Amino acid sequence: MDGRIARRGWVPYALLAPGLAWLVLFFVVPLFSLGRKSLERGGLHNYSKVFSDNAAVIGRTFLYALAATMGALVLGYPLAYVIATRGGRAKNLLLALVVLPFFTTYLIRTIAWKVLLFGDGPVVRFLRFTHVFGRNSELLGTHWAVIGALTYNFLPFMVLPIYVSLEKIDPRLLEAGIDLYATPIATFRRVTLPLSMPGVFAGSLLTFIPAAGDFVNAELLGSDGQRMIGNIIAKNFEKDVFRPKISALSFVLMVVILSGVLLYARFLGTEDVI
Amino acid sequence: MSYTSLTRRQLLAGFGAAGAVTLLGACGASKSKSISTKGVSANGGSAGSGSAGDAKKITMLNWVLYIENDADPSKSPTIRSFTDATGIRVDYRPEIDGNDTFYTKYEPQLSKGKGIGADIVVLTAWMAARMIAKGFALPFTESHIPNKANLLPDFANPPWDPGRKFTLPWATVLAGIAYYPDKCGFELKSVNDLFDPRLKNRVTVLDEMRDTVGLLMLAQGLDPASGSIDDMKKAVAQIRTARGNGQIRKVTGNSYTEDLRLRDTWASIAWAGDAAQLQHDNPDLRWLFPAEGTMRSTDNAMILLGAPNQVGAELFLNHVYDPKVAGPLYEKIQYPSPVKGALANMSAAAKSSPFLNPTGKLVEFRILSANEDDELSKAFAEATQQ
Repeated sequence: MDGRIARRGWVPYALLAPGLAWLVLFFVVPLFSLGRKSLERGGLHNYSKVFSDNAAVIGRTFLYALAATMGALVLGYPLAYVIATRGGRAKNLLLALVVLPFFTTYLIRTIAWKVLLFGDGPVVRFLRFTHVFGRNSELLGTHWAVIGALTYNFLPFMVLPIYVSLEKIDPRLLEAGIDLYATPIATFRRVTLPLSMPGVFAGSLLTFIPAAGDFVNAELLGSDGQRMIGNIIAKNFEKDVFRPKISALSFVLMVVILSGVLLYARFLGTEDVI
Repeated sequence: MSYTSLTRRQLLAGFGAAGAVTLLGACGASKSKSISTKGVSANGGSAGSGSAGDAKKITMLNWVLYIENDADPSKSPTIRSFTDATGIRVDYRPEIDGNDTFYTKYEPQLSKGKGIGADIVVLTAWMAARMIAKGFALPFTESHIPNKANLLPDFANPPWDPGRKFTLPWATVLAGIAYYPDKCGFELKSVNDLFDPRLKNRVTVLDEMRDTVGLLMLAQGLDPASGSIDDMKKAVAQIRTARGNGQIRKVTGNSYTEDLRLRDTWASIAWAGDAAQLQHDNPDLRWLFPAEGTMRSTDNAMILLGAPNQVGAELFLNHVYDPKVAGPLYEKIQYPSPVKGALANMSAAAKSSPFLNPTGKLVEFRILSANEDDELSKAFAEATQQ
C-alpha cells in the first residue's frame, strides 16, 4: 500500500519533467544567454542607451498593443456574446468562421490588408468617394493601418476565451436575476460580465502579448513612423555589432509586456480570473 | 575542339586513386572550355577541401532568383546541361537571404575549420572579402576553370581578391532609381531629384547601407569607391534629415517592391533586377541610371573550407562561365552577366535591355574594415531606425 503511494508520488514529477526540460532547454537557457549578451560591451549602460535611443518606439509598441487589445475586446465581446447566447445550432459554424482566417498564413492575411488599404485601393477610394478622406489622405503608412491589422489578426484570440467563459455561465443565474426584478442591463452588469471576466482576462493577454512582440504588421503596413520594437530587433539582430543592445532591447520588450500584464492583473484582480 | 588536362597530382588529389577521369573538351568557340567528369568514381573532393564527399554531387547555396526555374532548380537548363555533361548532380538551394545572417549562422563552424556542407556559396563582395580575410575561402584550382578567362576585365582585379583567386562574380547587382513619371509629375535625372518637395512622403530608400549611402554620396559629389567614413556620414546625415522632414517615407528592405507595385511609393532607390521584374506588371515604371552614377556590387561564388566536392564546384563554375551557358542564364534572371561573350548569346531584345547592358558610370562601394563597418552601420541604423 505504502509502496503504491510512494510510487504514485513520482507520477506528478514524471509528468512535469518533459515540459520542464523543454522550458529549461528552449526558454531558460536562451534567456540566460540573451541576458549575458545584453551586458557585453557596455554592461547596464546598454539598457539605458537602448531605452533612451528607442523611447518613442517603446512607447509606440505599448500603445499599439494596448489599442489592438482594446479594439479586439470591443469587437470580440459582442461577437462572443452573440455566438454563446444566440448562436443556437449555428454556434459551431459561427465559431468556425471566427477561426477561418487562421487557415491562411499570417503573412498572407497581412499582405491582403496592404492590397485593400493602398492609395488606389478599394477602401481608400470608398473613403474618398464618401468625402471621409481628402484627395491626398491615405491609410497605408498610418497608425490606423497597423493598429487595425493587429486587431484583425489577433481578434480570434480574444473571441474564443470570452466565448468559453460565456458558454459556461449557468442560465439559471440569469433567470434568477430576472426573477429578482433586475433589468437585462443590470443582469448583464452584475451576473454575465463578472462571470465572463476570466475570458476577458485570458483574451486580453493572448492579444496583448503577441501584439506587443509583432513586427509583420508594422513592416508591411506602416512606414518609418510606425516601427515597433520587433522591427528594430528583426532588422539588427543578425549584425554582431548590434547584438548586445538588441539583446537589451529584447529584455525591454519583455518588461513592456510584463508591466502591461501586471498593471492589468492589478486592475482586474487575478484571484477570480486565473 | 580543345582539351584541357589535369596534372597527375591534381588527378590523384581531386578524384582519388581509383578515380577515372575523362576530360572532354568543349565544342564550339575556343573561349568556351568545359571539363566533363563522366565516369568519375566516388570519394571526390580535393586536397584543400578537408572532407571527402560524393564526387557525383555538389551543393550550392545562392540567393533567390539567381538561376532559371528557381522554384524547381532541377529544371534549370544551366544545371541540367551541367549534369548531362558531367554526371554531377547539383543540389541547388536558393536559401541565402542576407550576408549577416549567413555569417552569423556559419561563422562558428568555419572558425573551427569545419565545412558547412556546401560546395559553392554566393556572397556579396564585402562579405566575400571578409571570408577571404578570415581564411575561410579555398583558392581555386585554376586548371579546373579555364573559362575564368571569360571574366570581363572590369571584374578581374578587385582589391579584396586580386586575380580572382578565391571568387568569381555570379551576379552584378545595380542600385539606381525606379520611379513613376506620371505620379512624380516630372522626369527624374539625378539622385537629388528624390529630394524634390513634389515627392514628399513618396520616396523610399533601401536599408542596404552600401547602396543607399553610395548613391547619396554620388549625389553630393563624393566618391563611394574611395571616400572616408566622414564622407559616408554626410550621406547618412542627409537620410536623417530627409526622414525627419517627411521626404523619405520608408527605409526598407525587399518590401519596397510591393510599395512600388501598388504605386504608393512614387520613386525609390531600387535594384535593377527588381525593377526589371516590376516593369512586367507596371509598364509605367521607369528605371534610371542616375546622372551621378549607379552603385554596382557583385555577388560572388566561392568555395569555403571543408567543401565536400571542390572539384565538382569548380567544374560547375567553369560551366557557368561558358558564354553559351551564361547568355541564356543571365537573360532569364535579368542581371548583367560578368561573362565575356554572354551578351552575344542573348536575344536581340535582351541585348538592348538596360538591365542586362548597363550604361553610365558604375561605382562600387569601398570595402570597409571591420571597425569602419561597425561605425558606419551604427550611424546608418541610428539615422534610419529611430
